[in-house]
Amino acid sequence: MKVKIFRWRAVGPLLVLFVIAGILWWLFADTIARRESQKVGTQILGAQVEIQKLHLDLRHGKVLIGGLTIASPHEAFKNLLQADELVADIDVVPLTEKKLIINRIAANGLRFGTPRATDGRVAATSGDGIAGRVLAETREWASQFQIPVLQLATGKVSIDSLDPRRLSTIPAATALGARADSSRRAWQSAFDSLRLGPTLDSASAALDRLKRARATDLATINEARQTIDRLKRARDRVTTLERNVKIGVSELQAGLNGLDSARQRDYAFARSLLKLPSLDAPEIGAAVFGPGAIKPFERVLYYAQLARRYMPPGLLPRATTGPSRVRRAGEDVRFPKERALPAFLLRSAELSFLLQPNSAQPQKYAGQLTGLTSDPALYGRPTAFQASGPQLAAGAMLNHVRAIPVDTAGASIGGVTLPAFQVPGVPLTLDPGAATTQLGFTLNGDTIRARFAIRSTNVRWTRDSGFTNSTVGGLIWQAVSGISNLDVEARLSGPLHHPDLAVRSNLDQAIASRLRAVLGEQVAAAEKQVHDRVDALINDKVGPVRARVTEVQSQAQAQIAQQRTRIDELQKSLEQRLRQLLGGVRLP
Amino acid sequence: MFTLIKLIQSLFGALHSEGTEGQLAAGIVLGSFLGLTPLVNLHNAVIVAALVLLNVSFAGGMLGWALFVPIGFLLDPLFDWIGHTLLLDVPALTPLWTSLYNTSIVPLTNFNNTVVLGSFVFALLFAVPLFLLTRWAVVRYRVTVGERVKQSRLYKAMTASKAYNVYKMFRP
Repeated sequence: MKVKIFRWRAVGPLLVLFVIAGILWWLFADTIARRESQKVGTQILGAQVEIQKLHLDLRHGKVLIGGLTIASPHEAFKNLLQADELVADIDVVPLTEKKLIINRIAANGLRFGTPRATDGRVAATSGDGIAGRVLAETREWASQFQIPVLQLATGKVSIDSLDPRRLSTIPAATALGARADSSRRAWQSAFDSLRLGPTLDSASAALDRLKRARATDLATINEARQTIDRLKRARDRVTTLERNVKIGVSELQAGLNGLDSARQRDYAFARSLLKLPSLDAPEIGAAVFGPGAIKPFERVLYYAQLARRYMPPGLLPRATTGPSRVRRAGEDVRFPKERALPAFLLRSAELSFLLQPNSAQPQKYAGQLTGLTSDPALYGRPTAFQASGPQLAAGAMLNHVRAIPVDTAGASIGGVTLPAFQVPGVPLTLDPGAATTQLGFTLNGDTIRARFAIRSTNVRWTRDSGFTNSTVGGLIWQAVSGISNLDVEARLSGPLHHPDLAVRSNLDQAIASRLRAVLGEQVAAAEKQVHDRVDALINDKVGPVRARVTEVQSQAQAQIAQQRTRIDELQKSLEQRLRQLLGGVRLP
Repeated sequence: MFTLIKLIQSLFGALHSEGTEGQLAAGIVLGSFLGLTPLVNLHNAVIVAALVLLNVSFAGGMLGWALFVPIGFLLDPLFDWIGHTLLLDVPALTPLWTSLYNTSIVPLTNFNNTVVLGSFVFALLFAVPLFLLTRWAVVRYRVTVGERVKQSRLYKAMTASKAYNVYKMFRP
């Protein structure tokens, strides 16, 4: 029986199926696109992206988005931004290559930092995907700047247990003791090899014979002269040995000095175990404002690192987390090609936004974003952003065109009422009021330079109830409550993995002097306690070694001095007797 | 419950259809593509069209789909690994992927997703052994217990239902 290959009667139902699929697409395209945009946006940013309305008008290449809300990836009940309306002009043809090319976006009614009812953080709670990994990395990076200041409020000073194995003096003392023993053996061996005993005995005998000899006893006189020569050579050998001993002694002395340095290092190490703040003014600034000041850096770094992951330089294949679905997401790999379109490109976006939208007179600003792309090497130009207004100047540039990416951002916002915040480690709440905030950020390859500053002239302080019984807290309150100006500046510089953080503020000196007044004695006592603990651990080792080194030195030096004296005496006696016998006559 | 009944109907309907064992096996193989690879992808539209247009067992296709969906879920880590290896770890293939990625329509298949590519390649390689195995199994079934099942009351009850009538429209 011949089996037909095609089932022609099924063509009709299949066409009907495709028509139904087309109608469903036509009916639900907006909803599908809206949901997909929300899903992709959420995945990319690591925070909930919500869109109230999305309309696709592919015939005219337009996309209209209404009611866009992007939650903050860092704060639970805050939005990063909200937009009333976004209108995008897109190229339709690249969509067939699954590439999204947006020629222009006009965004109206942008608002930043608005409150929200639900926690919109995704990366922070799940830790999944690129955003989750970047968030975890930046958090770990920021955690290196945590400074223990918790003891400020109570004034308690405690010491962690001191592990003797972590002290550097003890191994240094053991090594020095071994070196001293080794030197002693070496010097004794060198001394024995001089064989001074026979020379000195022979010289003594020659002197005795010379004392009994007459001026005509030429053989004895010659023998005396030869003995003097032997004594001179012996003294030269002693001198050489003495020189070596001196070098060895100076090395041992350096070893002893090294023990002192090691002891100082151990004191410093033990002091680092003390849970107390340094009383130097710059460190007070870092302790009080450091954790707060690092937050803006952490956030900017998060977005910069996200940009580096999603906008990598070069044309190599890049994998990113695939779309979330019931099945495993896998990874989507992009294969950029020279002279081809990038997977995503936003040529230009015009932004119109409000600052302080809830105030009586919200201020309107305008900004522009250009060249945001997934493949900067294909686009060939950096991504740039700039915004300006009456009290705002902001700009950013993401240059991922070359192999080493350079990301820069800067902003200065004036007259913005910052929220009150609790000063870390101190139950004090600081309300900066209307402040001027400045941020500068440069990430050049793996080198970071950043600056964050807040200036306000209308600061208000609130004392928390837990502060009442704390003496130190009370003193800090006295120190700062009368200060109405705030000037904080944090600077970060160095390699990204371990940059230096310097924080200074006009409150540093005030807090430091108050702390010094109260904690000074307590700190001094704790430091003495630490010194005593270190001394108790290392003195048992260092004392005997020091004594042994001194003994070895003095023994070697005494031995050499004694022999040299003996040689000198014999030589002098021989020469004196010769002069007496010869009466100034010089014999050949 | 309805899905389960339909599946059982499909199973018996396919096994006792007038189609050859080859048509049934081909249907199951095409259905396995739907089950093994993530469903919402362009290549699966082609598979569905093939299942409808080609003179293979449609019920076999549905059966293959239903059977291989859980297997697809289980083997996702393997598919991910295969896809990752092919897309990123074989430099000789990079020009091919680059070319396909920058061509119209092809990227819509999501071939550049590790799970999609891995599962598709796996389904492709698995197709021939699956076809041969299924064909042998159907032959064995029909010559052994097939006739007795056909006479059973359960089978008769199922084939009398409306769903079966719909199925008959697409039987080979």
